Amino acid sequence: MPVDLEKILRPVDNPMPPFPAKHMKVASGEEMVIRQVTRDEIPSILPHVAPLVWVERDFYDVVAARVYAELLAFYAHRMQDEYVLVAQIDGELCAVVNGRMVNKDVGMSLHTLAMRRGLRIGAHAFAAKMEYHMDILGQKEVLIVAESPIGFRRWMIEYNLEKRFDIAHELGGVPSWALTKELFDRARDTLVVGRRPVPDELLAKAAAAILPPSDPPTPPEDLLAATRARYDPTGTALVLQRWKQEGKV
Amino acid sequence: MTVRDVYVIGVGITSFTRLEYPLSEIAAYPAMMAMKDAGTRDIDHLYVANMGGGRVNHQTGLASAVVDTLSLTPAGAETIENGPASGGSAVKTGYMAVASGLHDTVMVTGAERMREVNNLEATDFVATLTHPLAEHIYGVTLPSLAAMFTRLYMEKYGVTERHLAMVAVKNQNAALRNEFAHLQQEISIDGILDSPEAMTNNPYVAELLRFFDCCPVSDGGACVILASEEVAGKVDRPLVRLAGVGQASDTHAVHEREDPTDLLAVRRAAAMAFERAGLTPADVDVAELHDAFTILEIVESEECGFFPKGEGHLALERGETALGGKLPINVSGGLKGRGHPVGATGVAQAYEIVHQLRGEAGERQVDGARVGFTCNFGGFGNNVVCLVFKREN
Amino acid sequence: MPREIYAYKCKKCGHVHYPYRMVCRNCGKNEHNEFEPVPLPKTGKLLTFTTLYSLPPDFEVPSLGLAIVALENGITVTGQHRIDEPETGMAVSVEVEIVRRDGYDEHYGMVFYKA
Ligand SMILES: CC(C)(COP(=O)(O)OP(=O)(O)OC[C@H]1O[C@@H](n2cnc3c(N)ncnc32)[C@H](O)[C@@H]1OP(=O)(O)O)[C@@H](O)C(=O)NCCC(=O)NCCS
Ligand SMILES: [Zn+2]
Repeated sequence: MPVDLEKILRPVDNPMPPFPAKHMKVASGEEMVIRQVTRDEIPSILPHVAPLVWVERDFYDVVAARVYAELLAFYAHRMQDEYVLVAQIDGELCAVVNGRMVNKDVGMSLHTLAMRRGLRIGAHAFAAKMEYHMDILGQKEVLIVAESPIGFRRWMIEYNLEKRFDIAHELGGVPSWALTKELFDRARDTLVVGRRPVPDELLAKAAAAILPPSDPPTPPEDLLAATRARYDPTGTALVLQRWKQEGKV
Repeated sequence: MTVRDVYVIGVGITSFTRLEYPLSEIAAYPAMMAMKDAGTRDIDHLYVANMGGGRVNHQTGLASAVVDTLSLTPAGAETIENGPASGGSAVKTGYMAVASGLHDTVMVTGAERMREVNNLEATDFVATLTHPLAEHIYGVTLPSLAAMFTRLYMEKYGVTERHLAMVAVKNQNAALRNEFAHLQQEISIDGILDSPEAMTNNPYVAELLRFFDCCPVSDGGACVILASEEVAGKVDRPLVRLAGVGQASDTHAVHEREDPTDLLAVRRAAAMAFERAGLTPADVDVAELHDAFTILEIVESEECGFFPKGEGHLALERGETALGGKLPINVSGGLKGRGHPVGATGVAQAYEIVHQLRGEAGERQVDGARVGFTCNFGGFGNNVVCLVFKREN
Repeated sequence: MPREIYAYKCKKCGHVHYPYRMVCRNCGKNEHNEFEPVPLPKTGKLLTFTTLYSLPPDFEVPSLGLAIVALENGITVTGQHRIDEPETGMAVSVEVEIVRRDGYDEHYGMVFYKA
């Protein structure tokens, strides 16, 4: 009998209760839906994550590359106990968040990637994932790290996270921070919002299709502009970019 | 002393956003645009407004870098630092140079690159302008001073959070009509004040002042070229005169002010600018005020003489300060919508007014604007520059 | 030894200043006035206050109470407050405590408590 190698490679997921979708009004007045996506929906998310790998600011590149890999691993059954939530406005993809169950009591927050900026959409999506760990999975604490200063401000400072520096986080092995049940309860009133159930029509619209983000962060015209501006004090490497802006080329 | 008339012959600006090129280029790019606009490279002197180059970008002596970047050497050049009023101060200094007869054509360019560091550091950098021993050591930042001021103003004059939100929505949405503005995201009263999620969308930064009440941290540059009547006469652009300048200061520490709800430096700088221009607040068709915090637009609109003290919020309610109203304020988006690269702001305000008076402002044009006004507010009101502009032909 | 924060009383006209300046606001001519340091009173009235949530990076707390207080002698000062439910006009007492740490330096300043 041939060995079923796939069976060995493929992790066995533990049962995880689903995240009940919720909706909320964002600062623009638009209705946003946050819901869990299934494995089948991953291919319709990947194309909107990929371009962000080239956005060399706010660590979009690092985060997008990792999110891409994690979504792919989820799709291909190469990551255990992972879940993915998306935020959508009118079907349009606004944010992707994901995480993992380490064990019954401990959760691992992976990433938060906002595709539309200036509306605290990333913050809402992050709060939803904390809600999932605490209220739905009933975990005691979630391990968190930040790649970017804006992430640090949103998570470590706004939630007043505790240090768990003895635990290396799955993302890069850096020291972890933790959201405990107690901290979450304290943040609940101010940071965690949303209404349930989502009206059928709204949910149907979101589930029907994951539409591309209309105004995603884009890379500067010269891909290495940011880096070169730092290391090339003469700025000559930027001439091309400036000419482009002036319409000369 | 005879004072010569001073005209604006060229203007330029960069997008206000995060700019990934060196500070000297952020100053130089709008300068090139302004020289193209004026059709001349005959510049006698440069004034470069900047607040944080030394601290944030590790670049001092910016003016020397800019004059060389533009190949305008051997023209004289100097950097002017006056906190968030650096831009206004530089324009005023340029005015003095031309008015006095020392120079015929001067370039005033303002630039800031604050996004090279993260937001926390940027806020801390701006906070260094507070009193080192009586304010800064406590963790006082500009938003906290504005918040304490807001509480007093609300108690005394009945301004509410709704009024602040109205300013935020008016200015941030006005920025949608400004291609150079930082924020290009519409917001609504429902989303930031009324819906069940509003308080999370719009949390307190410093209590009573919320996220959307504050201007964003931006990079950007702006430039105006000032010239004598003789030079201006040869330039084929609508003629806009810098008719009056005014500047005043107030106590460094905010707590020392006799009535902490008065912004005396604004009142005095505005009065001085109007007097010098021979005009009154009633003559003004369009104004750019320093709305680093929404409350400031309301209060400055009073202190500058457009509305009686304590009634700025009523004028706002009546829609008088919106585009199409009696006195449109911050149709560019203001600091709130356009962004606030500290050293560039005062020059960007002048850019907007010149644009408006020339009738070139497109979608956000205030019809028939002939007199414009700017207020550039440094420190927390301890150093203020006001400018009055007039269309002459 | 209890620490004090000082105001500066003009030796010519008695005008009290806080913070320090070199020339008296009241009688000042173009000369460097002499001032006598006087400890600031330890009670006062809350004029205005805020809770700041966006702090300079060296503070390791999520929020910070700040206030302006009119002290007994009429001098107004800025400081930190540690009051749960502050209200304008309420009576406060003042302590001098560490308010900021900057590397190895400790800065002392005024902290207001409910009187
Ligand atoms: C970190 C992240 C998730 C936060 O998302 P968020 O909570 O939605 O935050 P926002 O995008 O609303 O906040 C920033 C925007 O707010 C807007 N803004 C800032 N100040 C403002 C103000 N005073 N008024 C109105 N809008 C303002 C700006 O448009 C700003 O964008 P800019 O930096 O391009 O100028 C998101 O920035 C992201 O995906 N970053 C890349 C990946 C990453 O770092 N993930 C986290 C890893 S820990
Ligand atoms: Zn005296």
